[in-house]
Amino acid sequence: MTHLSPDQIVDIADGCATSAVAAHAAGCESCRAKVESLLDAARLAGSDRQHEPSPLFWPHLAARIGEAVRREGFRVPLWRSWGWRLAPIGATAVLVIALGVGLRMWTGTPGSGLLVPDAPAGSPAQAALELALDVEPADDPSWRLVSELSAEVDAEEAEAPGALPQPGGTDKALLQLDAAERMELARILREEIGTRDTFMPQGPGA
Amino acid sequence: MSTRAEAWPAGGTQPDWTLTVVPSTQDESGRTSPLSQLDDRGLVEVCLGGRVDAFDVIVERHQRAVYQLCFRFVHRHEDAADLTQEVFLRAYRGLRRFRGDATLTTWLYRIGVNVCLNQVSGRRAQETPLDHAPNIPAAGDDPASSFVRAREGARVRAAVARLPRKQRATLILRVYQDLSHREIALALGTTVGAVKANFFHALGNLKKLLADEAIEKP
Repeated sequence: MTHLSPDQIVDIADGCATSAVAAHAAGCESCRAKVESLLDAARLAGSDRQHEPSPLFWPHLAARIGEAVRREGFRVPLWRSWGWRLAPIGATAVLVIALGVGLRMWTGTPGSGLLVPDAPAGSPAQAALELALDVEPADDPSWRLVSELSAEVDAEEAEAPGALPQPGGTDKALLQLDAAERMELARILREEIGTRDTFMPQGPGA
Repeated sequence: MSTRAEAWPAGGTQPDWTLTVVPSTQDESGRTSPLSQLDDRGLVEVCLGGRVDAFDVIVERHQRAVYQLCFRFVHRHEDAADLTQEVFLRAYRGLRRFRGDATLTTWLYRIGVNVCLNQVSGRRAQETPLDHAPNIPAAGDDPASSFVRAREGARVRAAVARLPRKQRATLILRVYQDLSHREIALALGTTVGAVKANFFHALGNLKKLLADEAIEKP
């Protein structure tokens, strides 16, 4: 004969056993004794009444916890607290990076000069391309600003609201621009980032 | 709006005066803050949006349950208050991880059990001295019966403190915090079957410990 398992005995003590289990307990002295023992132990444990501090204690404790929480500092993720305000900055940063990577791929000779078929040497488009390629991100205050602002934004959070482009999407869009569009993009980027000496293209027509 | 404090235990001595506690979710004119109208999930969202005062409402709602849980592990008012603060600090730090699969209460219990077990692990289970016995004399209790009740309570607490960790946590959550087996399973990160088995063995061990102690100290 199979006796009841511990969880079945607990079910009987709780009054939620199945009819088959309850029927077994009714006819089995051993299992019924276990149920009685369990209920007796539960009564013993429950005889120790709950500690109840003074009602005055709760506001005091709440205030104390509130102070401790505020001492913790504001740990809400930057992305949530800034919300969409970060989106334009992030999008600009992504575009600048994609521009550089895309153009390097387009010219096919990374770091070997600016061989843009549609952009004559010294033209504004050429200047913009130099701007995009020659700036070292680590030395660029704008890049550092974007890096610092986005330091606590992980990819998962940025992707959820669509702040990240689809893989290859920016490159594809960039490659579809004609010369005039690239010049306009370069002009916009230069306005956004600000013209500085280190960004000025070299050579005639600069 | 004010709330009449209902903190005295059933059967406990009821004072002949009444105390009105005004929670901090009310402003000075007595109006209820809109935050207090939100449910727990709403408060979590608002808090994650940057409003720390939403967490104050969470604390006011749950501090009593968390404190009672902590007290069951340490049996000292000051230690229980410290642990309660630690539980809420951890909850605040990890609020983003609250997914809403369980209730906020269950989630807080889960943090509370971990904090308490870490705190008491390594400590030798000790009997609560009678002068720390926290029970308020019940109405009509004479001093002798109060003393007997306090001594019995201390014996039970000492026996509970000697139970294995999971059995102890299960028994506390079931008997003193009145959680269902399912809620306990969520709080302890285990299955309902394991909770029932732990509860069964916890009560069996408790009875044995109390019987052994009665033999040792007749």
